Amino acid sequence: MLRQSLAIMGREVRYLWRERGLRHILLLGSLLGILLFWGIYSAQVLKEIPTAVVDLDRTKQSRELVDGIRNAEYLKIVAVPESFQAMEEMIKEGRAVVGVVIPEDYGKKVSLHRQVRVLMVVDGSNIIYATNASTAILTVTRTIGTRAGIATLLARGIPLSQAEDAYRGVNIEDEPWFNPTLNYAYFLVLALALNIWQQCCTLTACMNVIGETGLNSWRQIRAAGVSRLQLFFSKSLVHIIVFMITVLPVYLLAFEVFKLPLRCGFPALLLFTLVFAVAVHGIGTLMSSFARSAVNSSRFGMIVALPSFVLSGYTWPVEAMPRWLQPLVKVLPQTWFFQGINYFTFNNAGWGMMTHYMLIMAATAVCCYALAALFISRS
Amino acid sequence: MSETEQGPKEATVQPLLRVAALQQRIGRRVVLKDVSFEVFPGERFGIFGLAGSGKTALIHILAGVDRFTSGSVEILGHDIGKTEKFKQYTGLVTQERSLFQDLTAGENLDFIAALKNAGREAIPPLVERLALEDYLKTPVSRLEAGVYQRLSLACALLNEPRLLLADELITGFDLDSRRLILDELAGYLERGGTCVWSFSSMEFAGLMSRVGWLENGELTVYSPQAVWEKWNELERSSARRSGEAHA
Amino acid sequence: MRQVYNIACYEVAHIFKDFILFLMVFLVPLGYAALFGAVYVAGTLTDIPLGIVDLDDSRLSHEIVTAFRNSPRFHIVETIGTYSRLEEGMKNGTVRAGIVIPENFEKKTELHQKTKIMTCYDASNLIWGYNIRKYALEVLNQFNAGHTAEYLAGLGMTKREIRDILDTVSCTTEIWYNPTLSYANFLFMGLVMMILHQLGLLSAGLTITREKEHNSWIQYLAAPVPGWKIFLGKALPYFIAGFFNYGLLLWFAARFVHVKIWGSLPLILLLGLLYDVIITSFGFFLSTQAPNSLQVTRYLMLLSVPLFLISGYTWPGTHIPAALNALARALPYTWMAEGFRLVTLKELGPGEVRITLVVMGVMAAASLLLALAFARRRNSPVEQGLTVNGGPAYPGKN
Repeated sequence: MLRQSLAIMGREVRYLWRERGLRHILLLGSLLGILLFWGIYSAQVLKEIPTAVVDLDRTKQSRELVDGIRNAEYLKIVAVPESFQAMEEMIKEGRAVVGVVIPEDYGKKVSLHRQVRVLMVVDGSNIIYATNASTAILTVTRTIGTRAGIATLLARGIPLSQAEDAYRGVNIEDEPWFNPTLNYAYFLVLALALNIWQQCCTLTACMNVIGETGLNSWRQIRAAGVSRLQLFFSKSLVHIIVFMITVLPVYLLAFEVFKLPLRCGFPALLLFTLVFAVAVHGIGTLMSSFARSAVNSSRFGMIVALPSFVLSGYTWPVEAMPRWLQPLVKVLPQTWFFQGINYFTFNNAGWGMMTHYMLIMAATAVCCYALAALFISRS
Repeated sequence: MSETEQGPKEATVQPLLRVAALQQRIGRRVVLKDVSFEVFPGERFGIFGLAGSGKTALIHILAGVDRFTSGSVEILGHDIGKTEKFKQYTGLVTQERSLFQDLTAGENLDFIAALKNAGREAIPPLVERLALEDYLKTPVSRLEAGVYQRLSLACALLNEPRLLLADELITGFDLDSRRLILDELAGYLERGGTCVWSFSSMEFAGLMSRVGWLENGELTVYSPQAVWEKWNELERSSARRSGEAHA
Repeated sequence: MRQVYNIACYEVAHIFKDFILFLMVFLVPLGYAALFGAVYVAGTLTDIPLGIVDLDDSRLSHEIVTAFRNSPRFHIVETIGTYSRLEEGMKNGTVRAGIVIPENFEKKTELHQKTKIMTCYDASNLIWGYNIRKYALEVLNQFNAGHTAEYLAGLGMTKREIRDILDTVSCTTEIWYNPTLSYANFLFMGLVMMILHQLGLLSAGLTITREKEHNSWIQYLAAPVPGWKIFLGKALPYFIAGFFNYGLLLWFAARFVHVKIWGSLPLILLLGLLYDVIITSFGFFLSTQAPNSLQVTRYLMLLSVPLFLISGYTWPGTHIPAALNALARALPYTWMAEGFRLVTLKELGPGEVRITLVVMGVMAAASLLLALAFARRRNSPVEQGLTVNGGPAYPGKN
């Protein structure tokens, strides 16, 4: 019994190795993934948003305003175009994301305490830029407004203390938790690499049953009288071990080299990943049990694995999706895995939550394996 | 090369197919090394070889399907390494099934006629001669081996080729199909066709005008009688060796 | 023409016979678009769960709480009352942001002593993080303006005077192109272009591998039919289906996901046409090169995410290292996604997107050349030792 199982496992390892496509995918896929994503997000934070300032006034007052913008966090003045049209052109071409237009009579009006309008433009087509830019602008405009307001009040003969009181208002201190530098690489790199990893795993798992029953050698196995349970259990064990081995370098790079946050402890993370690996393997096995060929099996698997990251709510939250879609995405183990990765690596959300998540993923795995067993026994 | 037979002796007849110093290497293995022969119009040229001797490789090169390492092949004066023009004069029957699996027999004839730029009017006579009427609506994947081969031959003959390349034209299928195919081939030769036919069973050697014996990547051309003698000699020496081994 | 027509007909017949291929060509693109459309249809984040810890419990602190309560951006989770509960809630995701008003806040404010409200937010998901930061600032800016107005009214100023003072230097902030900062406008069309890219490549990419697997590729090679006719016949159905899908998904996006697709229609069509040419001819080229359908399917699928991210469609190219940017510039998706955004969202004209058009034109020509120059001869199979699924066969039941 054990000898049979070991022989099956040995053959499976050889199979995975000799199938060059799978070998490349498993060995290189997720590693290349994490390196590429780290490269893409190596800037880490989205500071220095390119800003174009049109100063039509060129007075002391307007230069003060420009200085205010220059000192604003996140904004970086990259150009001082001559006209509104030139600024518009820059935004159209994407050379500037923020545009500021200081009107001609700015200095004069400010010294006369008359009303004056400053135009601030944000290119909203890329939201990652636009949200940060609007926040930066909100801070700048508040400072400008306060300074000008106090000056006006003083000019009206209101004492300084009262003028300041009028504008004292409420101050806030903002505290980004879990990712205090608002680091985009922390947010996305690991999750994206794991997304590639789970796709690679799905592709491998999709060969599980059809890779055996679709070959002529299936007759040898049938003739030898090996039980299907023993056969597929041994094969699956190899797959899952291989999945876990391939995720190790990803974690190593992520936590040791790139220093991504890991608050929940490595053993707990590995356990969590193991349960997910089993669930993904279950899905792949299910696809491979009813597909007519390896290609179709891979396609079915990818139909689940491909959109699962977008659906997982890792980026765009599940709460913001339509109500009818929410239960649907909660069936996918990927949803629990990616959400969990976020909660456990950033916040260490605790064992209670982790066991809850693992139970759900394990339940998916059990359902998939049971269905697969049904299909295999009927074939 | 003493036994080598020359083709029709008249110097005026140009060979239809001329193969010179043909080499084919697959990785490090030499499949064909220095193969040269000529086939003249009206011939039924056999290529004999046991399994794995490179018959299919040779036929596929002649049909312009596979690349080759070096040497030259001319069909009707066209260098097949340089042009595709010769393909309108050739027809190919493959050893493995190569018709369109998801089409019926009739659709295959129709489609391959289009691929070969042959008129539809060529189809009915072939269907009649090869007795395919009853199968036109059957998917080719469900055809028996004999009928399948009849259909393959019909498809190969759609463009009335000057040179028919047939790889293992007849294997162990039913006798009716065998008869129909041999009759069709005879008719084709009568109409002025030429055929290169690869086979691995000696029984067909007698049907050929000449036979090229393919072994260890080399091809030697014999008359049909000479081939029989060589075959018998081989059988005797094999039996001798086996006797020595058992002694 | 008869040959091209017949090859195309055969290909169409095949699409209709192979159920999964049929789905892939006609339904899966719309299916994926509908799925992703549903994800992003809300467009903006609203009702962000917010926990409030009011340690002051004064008139001023109540006013602040009311300001947040009145904002449609936030939804106050009432069960959070203490700091430890807030911490707990942030950890397990029941709240995504918190406001902590310190003790003696009102008193200290009146005495002009330094005091601050703390707003915290979950930055582990930066879509939450960035948005909450902005929303909180909006609410407080508004609150402060109200506070100033009230104070000035207390000094006996009229409404008009107050407005004049508040607006001494008023900053009009305009958000161009996507004024509501809708994620649907931002992300969805990028995903649609990726769907078209991947499914287009995949379906065209299987057209020759399938013939290789069935051994019928020999029939094409042995027949006197020129390569360009094989390409045209085989690629035409996918080209037409691709363009149909382009139109269909654009209509779907505009109609149901409310994506802003403005700008010049001829330009949109031209971009789609070029994109479609690139995809179909490159797919055909891949198919002539690949050993079998299994490998094409696998590798293509794995490429989706990297292609999307490297393109600079989300994380801007200005912040991506030059080497990766150069790589991205060599990929048609990068140009199409950006070009489409420029034309439909920014409503730029042909002059302003000429570089995109030229590059895509060159790419279309190059991929056409690649597809047309495919070898009319098979390479002799290289002996690779023991390999699995490397030739034209892969496991399957027949």
